[in-house]
Amino acid sequence: MGLDLTVNCLGLPFQNPVLVASGTFGYGDEYYEVMPFSELGGLVTKTITAARREGNPPPRIVETDSGMLNSIGLANVGLRAFLEEKLPWIAAHAGQARVVVNVAGFSVEEFIEVGTAVGGAKGVDALEVNLGCPNVRAGYIHFGADELSVRQVVAGILKNVRLPLIAKLSPNVTDIGALAEAAVDAGADGLSLINTLPGMKIDPLKRRPVISMGFGGLSGPAIRPVGVACVYKVYQQMQRMEAPVPIVGIGGIASGRDALEYILAGASLVQVGTANFLHPRAAANVLQEIAAFCESEGVAKITDLVGLAHER
Amino acid sequence: MKPVFKWVRVLQISGLAERTYILRFEEPESAAVIQPGQFCMISPLPGSSNVFLPRPFSYYRVISRSVIEILFRTFGRATRWMANLAPGDEIGVFGPLGNTFNLAPGPGNAILVGGGIGIPPIVMLAERLSALGRLKRLDLVYGESTASRVIYLAPVLPASVRCHLTTEDGSAGQRGLVTAAVESILKECRDPLAVYTCGPKSMMGALSRILDPEQVTLFETSCEENMACGMGICQGCVIPVRTGGDSVRYLRCCAEGPVFNGFEVQWA
Repeated sequence: MGLDLTVNCLGLPFQNPVLVASGTFGYGDEYYEVMPFSELGGLVTKTITAARREGNPPPRIVETDSGMLNSIGLANVGLRAFLEEKLPWIAAHAGQARVVVNVAGFSVEEFIEVGTAVGGAKGVDALEVNLGCPNVRAGYIHFGADELSVRQVVAGILKNVRLPLIAKLSPNVTDIGALAEAAVDAGADGLSLINTLPGMKIDPLKRRPVISMGFGGLSGPAIRPVGVACVYKVYQQMQRMEAPVPIVGIGGIASGRDALEYILAGASLVQVGTANFLHPRAAANVLQEIAAFCESEGVAKITDLVGLAHER
Repeated sequence: MKPVFKWVRVLQISGLAERTYILRFEEPESAAVIQPGQFCMISPLPGSSNVFLPRPFSYYRVISRSVIEILFRTFGRATRWMANLAPGDEIGVFGPLGNTFNLAPGPGNAILVGGGIGIPPIVMLAERLSALGRLKRLDLVYGESTASRVIYLAPVLPASVRCHLTTEDGSAGQRGLVTAAVESILKECRDPLAVYTCGPKSMMGALSRILDPEQVTLFETSCEENMACGMGICQGCVIPVRTGGDSVRYLRCCAEGPVFNGFEVQWA
């Protein structure tokens, strides 16, 4: 009787529940020698947009208490180079790990263009839609802030794509539950919670924000309680829906206990993000600690723990 | 060699000048392959400090095949944590990372310029270029703001290196900025020149304006930017580099750098 860490969700088999989050593991190649993502549940790629993006001017990142701020500006190789140069390598090195490609656009049309092209490519297991991207035509408010945009993006991509689609939601909204419901209504197969929170750090000597763009996205252990609360809330909401979808928990996971908080709150899978920058094998360590916890607590199947923190 | 992450124990930590320390640890695997210009990320044991992200440091010296030295100056949270380390304390070291200085500058002269705490990779480079013995003449210009910050380099520099010290307030060496000292060496040199530098952005930018690309065939600058991962993943540490014409690309300091062509970096 071995411990069963496998998870079946989104219509896919995952060899374990630990993935690496978008933007914290590149395209899987840089870290591969040190941390082959094939050991993990899956890789979520850096966000892909239609055109190649140079990104924002430096400084782009700065440390904060228990976390970091970033404003990279979605720097990426662009759709065509991703499909031609990056994806074949990823697919060839994935082993049993699932390949999730994170896509974004600055308009609904761009989202649909990128999602459709990636969704039709060989070697992709699922799409994660980055709804934290600003909508250029709607005053740069992010897509995830508005139910109509969420529906248009999700339904628009799914009209052309048969792969499972995960909507990645931002916590920077009044009611994340309503947006989760909109995404599921529009056909999303899963929800990733949460993206970064907006933050700012100011240098008193320079009298200016440290990050060139002023605002940055806050990540790391500082946001974990926010993420756990969002997962808990949305999981409750899912229980009231006719066809609930699985939740992927993200935000400040650096240890097995951190991951278990998300799983107990209702996440079927988790993603390790910023912690990868502190230690390239952070995700493997999280997995090992989850396994050790289950063994010492007599848990036979990791899926038995999903949502257990809710009142029964 | 691929970079390795290791938890190592501090062998020694001691003050060298005002706010300036030397940190010594043993790591034979990378010590054997470190090249001048490369760096490592140093991080605290989880929970041992309020420092969150690892910090990049150029290697200063490799001694006795397995012992590595890092030189640092206290500026913020991480360097203050490091200054309070004691022998036996555990730290995370991830390296060697980044590219290296060009070690085949041609047969002429070379000027190495270190500004303030930019001096460590310049010292390692001076040792290496001197050992390779291909240069006619090797000058090292070291600039500090004031005498209390000056690191005494004579014991670690090869005898063949001509050393020039400048301080902004004139309390040690020649009074003024490194650029004046570099200009006077340039007047003496007629041969093709290589110039290597590491220091404040303002200093490296000023050098790029006084150097003549006709005379200086190689101008390498070791840059710095806020980093998180140290190996090209997070894209946080980009440097604006002109790549032909007016087009500027953001290259990752940790992956394409930290050493860049100083004539191509957009300094301001």
